[in-house]
Amino acid sequence: MIAVYLCTAIAVYAAIRVIAERNTMRKLPFLNVVSFAVTGIIAFLLPHPITILAAAAYFVGSTLESNAIASTWAGGIRKP
Amino acid sequence: MNDIVMIASGILILAGMTAAIFNRDPFDKLISLSVLIAGVFPFIVERGFLDIAIATALIAPLSTIFTLMVCRRVQV
Amino acid sequence: MLDEPFRILIAALICWLNFMTVDLIFKLPHSGGVSGATAIAQEVEKGGGKLNGGYMMGNLVSSPDASAGTLLASCGVYCAGLPGGLFAALLVYIGNRICYDPGYAGTTGCISATFIVYGAVQSGWFAASDFIAGMVIAILTIQGLSSVHASRLIARLWKVRCRFIPEDKP
Repeated sequence: MIAVYLCTAIAVYAAIRVIAERNTMRKLPFLNVVSFAVTGIIAFLLPHPITILAAAAYFVGSTLESNAIASTWAGGIRKP
Repeated sequence: MNDIVMIASGILILAGMTAAIFNRDPFDKLISLSVLIAGVFPFIVERGFLDIAIATALIAPLSTIFTLMVCRRVQV
Repeated sequence: MLDEPFRILIAALICWLNFMTVDLIFKLPHSGGVSGATAIAQEVEKGGGKLNGGYMMGNLVSSPDASAGTLLASCGVYCAGLPGGLFAALLVYIGNRICYDPGYAGTTGCISATFIVYGAVQSGWFAASDFIAGMVIAILTIQGLSSVHASRLIARLWKVRCRFIPEDKP
């Protein structure tokens, strides 16, 4: 029972750090912590086999979003 | 157990919304919207709608990518 | 069984060692995989950190690596036992291919974490829920507390790893 509260507290703490950080690129690691904690909360709320698919879909989607934001900020995908 | 988690998800949604209103840079706005979307998922999964959760998780990054095409930084 | 806070701390230590070992073996701090990872590394270095640690933090942000593999393997074992962990490894491989990454680090970390978590649950000392909370604590110590100190720690570990395998200097 402590594990759920721990994930919740870490999610709220990382969200506050995301908002308090001023630099745009240094916000993204804190956003990664938020997505880790929310993935854990999803698995704790409903232990069912399809939950693995939902958690993996959420995590991959969040990672793809961060990747797109960082690549566009750096000036697009570089052609080799 | 579920009440405290739901209250914390509400805090995530409200914090992301407030930050998205007051930010100036478009990239900061998109990051705050990502925090808001992270707060929506526990409400969907807690009712048992796993298919809607999977669909939302795949549609939300696509909308972000289409928004990023508008605010692409000019090459210096 | 021990009390729950002690179990969570020991599980966090095991998860930290697992994903850091796999990421160092697959050369994540060597260079940025995509251009976004390089941009994050340069911003971390501008704030006072080291460049190699910044590369690893950028790679963790921009593609699902061994840390994501450990977390999803713990979720899989918690929900469906050993087949759930192996199914999570397949999903991590697909996610890596979506994010323009070769996907060796994530899949290897996920399979090794599956067997570690399943063995720990079968031995009777741990529950699978401890490893989920432990992995969240472990990623908090790398990405969430202070980017300057975390990048310096990763750069020091990368120098130790280069001493053992000397043909690829940073």
